[in-house]
Amino acid sequence: MNWVGLWTLTKREVGRFFSVYRQTVLPGLISSALYILIFGFTLEQRISEIQGVSYTLFILPGLIMMNTLTNATSNTASSMLQMKLLQQLPDLLTAPLSGFEIALAYIVGGAVRGLVNGVLVLLLGVFLIDLPVTDPIGTLAFIFLVSWAFSSMGLVLGQLAESWDQLAMMQNFFLTPLSFLGGIFYSIHMLPDWAQSLSFINPVYYMINGIRYTILGISDSSVMFSFWMAVFLTLIFTATAILLMQSGRKIKQ
Amino acid sequence: MPDPAIHIAGLTKSYGDVQALQGVDISIAKGEFFGLLGPNGAGKTTIINILTGLVFKDNGSTSVFGRDTVTDYRFTRSKIGIAAQELSVDWFFPIEKLLYFQAGYYGIEPKNAMNNINDLLSRMGLENKRGSRLRQLSGGMKRRFQLAKALVHDPDIIILDEPTAGVDVELRRDLWQYLRDMHSNGKTILLTTHYIEEAEMLCENVAIIDEGKILKEGSPKALTQELGKAGITVQLNHTPADLVQYLAGFTYTQEKNRLHFVVKDPDSAMPKIIHELSKSDAHIQNIATNSSSLEDVFLDITGKGINE
Repeated sequence: MNWVGLWTLTKREVGRFFSVYRQTVLPGLISSALYILIFGFTLEQRISEIQGVSYTLFILPGLIMMNTLTNATSNTASSMLQMKLLQQLPDLLTAPLSGFEIALAYIVGGAVRGLVNGVLVLLLGVFLIDLPVTDPIGTLAFIFLVSWAFSSMGLVLGQLAESWDQLAMMQNFFLTPLSFLGGIFYSIHMLPDWAQSLSFINPVYYMINGIRYTILGISDSSVMFSFWMAVFLTLIFTATAILLMQSGRKIKQ
Repeated sequence: MPDPAIHIAGLTKSYGDVQALQGVDISIAKGEFFGLLGPNGAGKTTIINILTGLVFKDNGSTSVFGRDTVTDYRFTRSKIGIAAQELSVDWFFPIEKLLYFQAGYYGIEPKNAMNNINDLLSRMGLENKRGSRLRQLSGGMKRRFQLAKALVHDPDIIILDEPTAGVDVELRRDLWQYLRDMHSNGKTILLTTHYIEEAEMLCENVAIIDEGKILKEGSPKALTQELGKAGITVQLNHTPADLVQYLAGFTYTQEKNRLHFVVKDPDSAMPKIIHELSKSDAHIQNIATNSSSLEDVFLDITGKGINE
């Protein structure tokens, strides 16, 4: 293992998003605050409690998840694509770094961004609407798993994309619908049967369900199943990202 | 006999239907200044990219100091510093930080990289720009930064892919001098270029490559002697009637009293010509030579100019 190389690239990836925190950290926090203020407080007058909690509290775990996964995904995806397009990637690929080390450093970078963003929205909820975090360790575990899983997925998207347009298409037509249809703003019990069945094949549903349980103590389906599903997806996405990097697809000829 | 710094045997590579390399063999000794000379699209960059792991080869072998560049890539890549033709861009970090990152990728911790980075920034005239982003540098500074980045881990082999493409005359001279200095410090240098004078001036050996094949290899002098057609022009006071018998062994054309000889090596041919002409009753009024260049050699071998 080239530990110094791995650590250097990880530092670079984390430093990269912190150096532009106005683009990478603050927007998620602001948009979550707006969701709480606008969706929560306005709709809360119209929507009665869901599973015994107010609507604003109900959506907050979903907002944490959405913020976590979009930030984790876009960190690795945009960093990888940027390095490809700006001719920086050869610096890494000609260095004595393995595909495993490069993928791992990228994934850690994206996971840190996802974790930072998720935790900040969590704290926003705690301070703004007295979010009761019933199982803080479980909450952090879910945020971490989702950060890692979607950071890995972002790396796959970034490596496969050849332009910003392609990347935006993947995110807009795939990731955003998955997270919105994962139950951020509603309980799946509010959906017709066919839509409930569709939700069960959406991985984001399990992650939102899991974190909602660890924060509010309520869930639409088994929490342990959600947890293991998050672990399973994390492993699958990580393995895919590492294997793809080792294959050199779209980055080597 | 020690392992060559770079050894390439039977290297082939295709991009779809295009055969970029058609069985390339090159051996570069440790400490040698070697030039790969060929027009754009000849396969020079593909060879370099295979050596450094950016391109997968189809067949053949590539090794650095006797170790395979695929199976032993950590060793071989740590020995090579590459200055690519394309300049990279980074929006986020100052150039000094980028050099520390680059050293880190090669397993060098910041405290151990500091002296070399300070030295490189100073030698490249970038000391006052250490806090600047790449976009704030001029084209020449970016090119010098590119070279500093290639040298940050003090590699034994330096590969420069068209280092002087698009740079002004002054910077080109600076780079040439810097390359000579590195070579005199024992570094092995592989330079690709389509500037013939660059290869002629710097390289101990060159390989002429076109359409993915090495057409000829040797020192610039040996190649021009072997393949070039130098000329000697002799002005006589009159043309002797029996001239033909004296010059039977030479290739020449005649224009009134002026004779144009085509020779491979003017240095050795000139005394023979003078000796033969002195047997006649003509007097030599003037004599001039014009040496052939690698460009003539290239033209001879490929039937086209290097920039065509």
